[in-house]
This record gives sequence, structure tokens and C-alpha cells, in this order.
Amino acid sequence: MDKLKAIGTINIRKTAALAALLALFLIIPHYMRNAQLIMFSRVFILAVYGMSYDILRGYTGFINLGQAIFFGSGVYLGVIFLNMQNNLGSFVLALGAVILFSAAGGFLLSRIVLRTGGVVAAAMVTLAIGEIVRNIAERWRSVTGGQDGLPLRFSRVALDPLFSTRVGGYYFSLAFMLVMLLILRAFILSPTGRVLMSIRENEQRARFLGYQTNRYKTIALIVSSIAAGLSGVFFAVIARFANTDYLSIQYTLNALLITLVGGTGTLYGAIIGSFFVTWIQTFLLDLNRSFPGFTLFRYPMLFVGSFYILLVMFMPSGIMGGIYRLADWYRSWKTKRVT
Amino acid sequence: MADTILRTKDLSVSFGALRAVNQVTLDIEARKFTTILGPNGAGKTTLFNLISGLYTPNEGRIFFRDTDVTGLTPMQRVQAGMGRSFQLTNVFPKLTVHENIRLAAQSYCKVGYNIFRDHRKFQKVNEKTEEIMERVLLQHRRKSPAAELTHGEQRKLELGMVLALEPQVLLLDEPTAGMAIEEVPTMIDIMRTTYAMGTTIVLIEHKMDLVKQLSDRLVILVNGAVLADGDPAEVSRNPEVLAAYLGGGAVHGSAS
Repeated sequence: MDKLKAIGTINIRKTAALAALLALFLIIPHYMRNAQLIMFSRVFILAVYGMSYDILRGYTGFINLGQAIFFGSGVYLGVIFLNMQNNLGSFVLALGAVILFSAAGGFLLSRIVLRTGGVVAAAMVTLAIGEIVRNIAERWRSVTGGQDGLPLRFSRVALDPLFSTRVGGYYFSLAFMLVMLLILRAFILSPTGRVLMSIRENEQRARFLGYQTNRYKTIALIVSSIAAGLSGVFFAVIARFANTDYLSIQYTLNALLITLVGGTGTLYGAIIGSFFVTWIQTFLLDLNRSFPGFTLFRYPMLFVGSFYILLVMFMPSGIMGGIYRLADWYRSWKTKRVT
Repeated sequence: MADTILRTKDLSVSFGALRAVNQVTLDIEARKFTTILGPNGAGKTTLFNLISGLYTPNEGRIFFRDTDVTGLTPMQRVQAGMGRSFQLTNVFPKLTVHENIRLAAQSYCKVGYNIFRDHRKFQKVNEKTEEIMERVLLQHRRKSPAAELTHGEQRKLELGMVLALEPQVLLLDEPTAGMAIEEVPTMIDIMRTTYAMGTTIVLIEHKMDLVKQLSDRLVILVNGAVLADGDPAEVSRNPEVLAAYLGGGAVHGSAS
């Protein structure tokens, strides 16, 4: 009975903490400058992109180096549809289009990748496919604008009232992240999600339980692609610009970094990871601006790189993993003190 | 032949020059306890790998309930009702005991493709999981990750995962291998109960004393071929068998 009560209080505490955090996120935008609002909106959207990657890397044990295909296509589709008609209906159409595109693309990719077998082979094949897609986009000027990119033609996205202001964009991005978190969490907790975890642990055993592991991996790839594509469409509204960078390996590595920093196998890790990756890049760029005299600060990527190396060395399971480890350590320390 | 559930016909496989399994023809009777006995390296596990679909035979066919399953994948064979355990413990190390068994039960209940409902809300799967944990005596370890179990407990978990699939034929690859002596009787009890519930069991062993009272039938495999096949008491007295076992050295009371 006491144990039940204890679990109850933990849940109440957890809910209270989450509610407080949510309230904080709802209040702070009113005290932020535009640049900060944009940064936070990006954090929320890239968090979803990171979650989409976590479904593959953290839950299925599959490295996709072509994830940016879906993110970048989402950005393009967002800009293209909103350029046709600058309203909510067009935005919803873009979302529908990206779901269809990503589902079909994820399915096709799974047909190619799952044939090759190993994790490394899959990584290489997806890397190649990603570069092919980026090259096609670069040459297909009439649609993508080539290397110049494709700007959103309207200075304001008139999805009144949500996107007409940066605060609106902030709330819309936050809502998007929360909805996607709930959906993806439900997916992870579903029987299918559990099978994916078993595949990550020991694929051969999963097969001997009668699971057709390739079908499950296909489902994971499709769900992940759709999530990445949707985050791309939202990103288009915040960035108001599409170019082939969003399709490149750089943006796939961004997703990888987000899961690396935040921790894999916990969707929440992607939120922390996204915040850190976005923040540290902005922070170091600012540093260069604030201290123009220091030559070293002119190369912010030097610091970013070193930071990632240190992180992987000392927190191999990311920040979420580090938090869990600290919590375990604290708990064992507490029980030791009691006895 | 109505009672034959599993049949191999002239089954052979070679690895390079080594003929690991050589022309093995076996009829496994339904609801019987058959033990395949042989010294180390006799080809027992290889035979299981062929039957369960991990290896493809060079020659011969495998029939399950009169259907040719030679071309099927391992998972198709599992879905058809053939379950197997592994000699080296093969579980999901980071998942809990409960989750390991629940995954097997979930496969049996065929709800794996459910995408949006919480996995804890499937009554049938939960009941099955509890039942199996009770059968393999692991309720007290339900929350432990499989990697933290003792070797013997892992063997039981492994067996539990196969049992949860409710196979018609249960292929057990040395379930007591490496187990502490005091744990062996519980493992035998679990096999007995399963057998009593009407499951056909095919057991691989290399210790003869363990299986003599347990089995209805004893098949001796030496160098990939069947050396003797029949009633356990008779087979264990067979001079050829005794001779084959002298180098392997597990038979009691044998002298030259």
C-alpha cells in the first residue's frame, strides 16, 4: 500500500513538474525578442526531426544517412504550396502532400535498404540515395530554384492568427512538437513499437518469435519519414526559405547530433538535444560577434566539434542518459545512507 | 502416418569438406518425447538449424504436418507452429523478464501490427505472459533485465519465450547446458509439464542419464548420421552406441 502511495506521489510530482514546464513555455515568448522566438520555434521543430531520427536510431537500431531527404522535401513542399496560395488550406495541403510523399519514399527506401542487410550497408546506401536526391534538386531549377534556393514569396505567412507573428509561430511550433511527441510516444508504446525495440536488441531472436522483422522496419522507416517530412513543412514557415542544404548530409547529421546529444531511445532526449544543438551554434556565433578581437572565436565550429567529442567520450548515452545515471546514483546513495 | 508431425527425408548439409548432417531421415511422432543424443560435434545443433530454417540443406526435405516447409523462412516456420530454443542463451538482454515473455505472448496473440494502442492494454497478452512466467518460475524476477539473471534463470526465460508461442513441436537445444546442478530438476519439471499438456518435444542432449527416463524414444546421432533409433532402454544398451560414446565418455558402466 505504501509502495502504491509512493508511486502515486511520484506521478503527481512528475505531472506537476511537467505542467509547470509547459506553463513556462507558454509565458516566456511574451518576454522574448524576435530572434529568440525564431530560435525557440526552430528548437521545437528540430526536436520533432530529432524524434523522427530516434525512432530509427534509438528504437530500431538502424542508421539512416538519408533522413534529410524527407526533412528537405518537407521544407520545399511547404514553400511551394504556400507560394501557390498563402493560407491555411494550402498549408494543410502541404502537410497532406508531405505525408503521401514521405510514406511512399520511406516505403521505397525500405525496399532498397532492407535488401542490403547490415547496419553499415544500410547507412552507406541511404547516404548515396540522399546525395542523389540533393543533386537532382540542385539541377531541377524550375521547381527548386537550384542553388539560389526558393524563398517564400510573402514577407508574412498569413495563416492568421497563428503565423502572422513570430509569437504565433512560436506557439504553433510548440503545439506541433507536443502533438508529435504524443503521437510518436503512442507509437513507441504500441505493440509495433515494442517489436522494434526487440529488433534493436536481437533481430534474430525477434524472427524466431515469429515477427517478420523487415516489415516492422518498413513501418518504422515510414513513420520516421513522415515525422521528418512534417517537421520540414513547419520549418518552411519559420525559415521562410528552402534550399538544397536542407536535403544534404549536413541536415542528416544535425538529426544525428540531436539524438547523440539528447540521448537515444527516449523521445524527450530529442527535445533537449535540439535545444542544445541550436543554442550552442547560436551562442558561439554570438561569441564571435561579441569578441571580435579573438581569432579563435572566428572558428565556432572548432568549439562545436570539440564539444561533441567530449560529450561522446563522457556521456555516451547523451544528456538524458546522463540524467538517468545521476538519478540511479542518487537513489543508490540514498538507500545506502538509510541502511 | 497420421501421427507423424515432423518428418525429415534424406536431410544433408555440408560445410566445405565436412558433411555435418548426412542423410538423416526421421519421423517425429506427435505428442511424443523424442531425444536426439550424440557426442559433441555430432551435428545435433546443425540438424536443428536445418529443421528450424536457420540453414538451408544441400539435399533432402523437411515436412511439417505433411506440408513441405524446406523453402520457408524461420519466422514462417515459427508461425506454422514450430518453436525452438537455442543452446547459447538467446534473449533480449536489456529488456525485462516480463517484456521478454510479453513479446513472445504478443506474437502468439498476433497483435504486433497494432500501431496506436498501448501495449499494456491487451488483456489476452497480459494473461498469457503471467501464465508463462508462472510456468517457468520467474514471477519474482519480472522486473529484472534479462542480462541480470543467473545463467539458469536465463535458460528458463528462453524456454518460457518458446512456450509462449504455444508451438505444436518444441525443439529444445540442450536446455540444461551450463546450468547449476540444483537447477536442473526444475528445468526437467518444466519440460515434463509441457509434455503432459500435449506438446511434441524434440530434445537435444549429450548426457544420456538425464534423458533416459524422460524420453519415449532415443535417436543417436554420430558424425551427422543416425546410428540408432528406438526405445531408450534398448538403444542405451546397443553396443555400437556404447562404442561411439566411449570417446565422448558420458555413459555410465561402459567398459571395453
